[in-house]
Amino acid sequence: MTLLMKEISKSFGSNLVLDKVDFSLEGGQVKALLGENGAGKSTLMNILGGVLPADGGQILIDGQEVSFHNPRESLDHGIAFIHQELNLINDLAVYENLFLGREVHKKGGAIDHAAMKARTQEVFDRMGLDLDPSVMVRDLDASYKQIVEISRAMMMNAQLVIMDEPTTSLTDPEIERVFSMMRTLRNQGVGLIFISHKLGEVMEICDSYTVLRDGHMVASGLVKDTTSRQIAADMVGHELIMRERRSSERGEVVLKGEHLGDGHYFNDVSFEVHSGEVVGFTGLLGDGRSELFQAVFGAGKLTSGTLEVCGRPVTIHSTSQAVKLGLGYVPRNRKENGIIKDMSIFENGSLATLSSRRKGPFLDNERLEEDFARQKAGLSIKMGSEDDLITSLSGGNQQKVVLARWLSASPKILILDNPTQGVDVGAKEEIYEIILRLAGEGVAVVVLSSEAQEVIRVASRCYVMYHGRITASLEGGDMNEHNIMSLATGAGE
Amino acid sequence: MNKIERIDNIEPLAWFRRQWSTHPLFSTLCALLVMVVLQTIALGFDQGGFGAWLSLWTRNWLNILRNNATIGIIALGMTFVIITGGIDLAVGSTLVAIGAVVMVFIDGSATGLLTSIGITGAPAYLVGIIMGLVMGIVLGEVTGCLITIGKLPPFIATLGMMNICRSVTQQCMQTINPSVPRGFTQIANLSVGGQMFMPIIYWLVLAFIMYYISRHTAFGRHVYAVGSNERAAKLSGINTQRVKRMVYTIMGLLVAVASILQVSRIGSMDYANAGSGYEMDAIAAVIVGGTSMSGGKGSIAGTVLGVLIIAVMNNLLNLIGVPPFLREAFKGVIVIVAVLLQKKEKV
Repeated sequence: MTLLMKEISKSFGSNLVLDKVDFSLEGGQVKALLGENGAGKSTLMNILGGVLPADGGQILIDGQEVSFHNPRESLDHGIAFIHQELNLINDLAVYENLFLGREVHKKGGAIDHAAMKARTQEVFDRMGLDLDPSVMVRDLDASYKQIVEISRAMMMNAQLVIMDEPTTSLTDPEIERVFSMMRTLRNQGVGLIFISHKLGEVMEICDSYTVLRDGHMVASGLVKDTTSRQIAADMVGHELIMRERRSSERGEVVLKGEHLGDGHYFNDVSFEVHSGEVVGFTGLLGDGRSELFQAVFGAGKLTSGTLEVCGRPVTIHSTSQAVKLGLGYVPRNRKENGIIKDMSIFENGSLATLSSRRKGPFLDNERLEEDFARQKAGLSIKMGSEDDLITSLSGGNQQKVVLARWLSASPKILILDNPTQGVDVGAKEEIYEIILRLAGEGVAVVVLSSEAQEVIRVASRCYVMYHGRITASLEGGDMNEHNIMSLATGAGE
Repeated sequence: MNKIERIDNIEPLAWFRRQWSTHPLFSTLCALLVMVVLQTIALGFDQGGFGAWLSLWTRNWLNILRNNATIGIIALGMTFVIITGGIDLAVGSTLVAIGAVVMVFIDGSATGLLTSIGITGAPAYLVGIIMGLVMGIVLGEVTGCLITIGKLPPFIATLGMMNICRSVTQQCMQTINPSVPRGFTQIANLSVGGQMFMPIIYWLVLAFIMYYISRHTAFGRHVYAVGSNERAAKLSGINTQRVKRMVYTIMGLLVAVASILQVSRIGSMDYANAGSGYEMDAIAAVIVGGTSMSGGKGSIAGTVLGVLIIAVMNNLLNLIGVPPFLREAFKGVIVIVAVLLQKKEKV
């Protein structure tokens, strides 16, 4: 099939997010849809998937004009949208998930499990997939979950599959598995739209690409005719300047842990963080670094070891106490842990300082506004009105608002857990700059990340964790991807 | 940009629709206006002269406000509780428990606790009021601790408190029969120009204070944050346990005020039946006022409107002669309709 989207426009309130964007796709092609957060990628795909109505423009499928009012109608035209948050029920078997809401019934009304399994197996055979339909979704790894979503689309005879950042939470071998599935489908004539921030993957899997920037289509073409550097430049609108990491001046030790443990996720962890430096903590998923720093911040319990803040031993019982001691914490998983969805951008950005900015018993709104205006400028947050809900912002800008929340509190020690999760290249680089700037101002910054490159980019020193223990502390030339990977996987032991 | 121009020259109907969908309280206010118009019509205009009509209309309104001040005050605290995602089923019973404590201290009979040691009049009333408020704070704090430290769901914790408070009060007050001195009844019944304003004034002052707390203090904003996303609130350095405990303590304090008013207004207390159903009336008012049961959304202003809507509707039903048994049904209908109307934003 051939898809053509012509001059699609969409605005939210006074915010024009898509301005006459063209987009096209042939069957048997993998097309990358690229752009920074807030460029309009999700909006465009939501229009194609029938989630949002367009304000203007046409959608043509094989030359016929179509219009979608809901995801169902879009699916009826062969378009399946696989969202970043997968719609699978962990406690049901694979085949039950595939038939959810469309169960096959026997004559008496009972569910026909055998027929459903058989039909699932047919789809798997067609996709060349070796997977038992009766396995529980809970027992699948992230890549197979992604593949189950794809097979659901295939079962409904989708001719076009939209995949929104499918590789975000996958490991390298898992990514390879999803890619090989995508290649199989492409060879069968299915069209795939691949939304991703990872340019390396785009170069590997995609045939063609379209770049959006601020609601405009700015570049489009074949992947073989371009370079990832050129695409990155198209996305941000200028050449990316990868600045060299400065070796910042280290101050005194402001955060020191000795033999810390919580009896479960981590134990016997010792580390030091100086003011004015960025220290990385890296490892694989489940290495205990998140739990460690949640406990340090008072959101979890420490059962052993001693913690010192600014040279004084402390026991932190609550997050509010941690804040008073000068700690700040930007959590991972922004949606669950970071933003308050019912509150405005301004309220989200000032949440950590409400208690300290007071006139008598009342809020000092002027100071809060001043603080926020300063952070908004410093972090170049793109927004309509600051009284809009936080959810009106793109992921990268939401993350900046969470950062603003903490920068207003001027912490002495700032812990950032996966600070660039779901953030595009341009905003990523901005966040790195902010981190380095903070260290330059004398803040002790702890960056937790599973991306070795990220740690190498911002940190002057890093601790590698494996199964709840620190396996090494790396510095300078030793802090390279090879060393980090081998220590993080326990190969060094 | 052309979007903004469009807003300037829109017709009334479109303006109305816009307000309806953007301002959460607009529909609530409209509902109240409709009720008031109907109620005014039901009251009739045949009193002979505008002056007489106005005086009847005003008296009717003062009646409505006075009769609903107690629920109004409780609903203020309930709003905070529900915004944090909790619920308080115990308010009717704690009202009785607090009332009993107040009565014991202000007892005017010769065997009264304070009277027997020679303390009477204003000093005794003051002690009674303070003890009532302390009792409210203590009960609220206990509930709060059960929910935060004991990690009980608010429904369970307050269900337990509801049974405990009423039952213990009834047992304790079996042999004691305190009488409320005349002076104490003046707290609620003080008459100014032939009208009793005091309960209304207490209610409105408390409503204003609660409104101010909700909008203009760190605690107030924290209440919303905790209700919307407790985890994110905690990771933002908010002491979420303290916020939740405080919310129930404030609830207890407000119930104490309501209880003192009730004792003063009626001059006695029926420990078995007083306050029963108050929790549901207060919850109904909060919900009609647009506060979400799942937490994070709602307002004090909405709750005041919610109390008024239910009150005016009751008055209207009374005026047009709907049988008392049926009135509860109308209350049920209005709660359901209110929530259905508020759903509009979700679709």
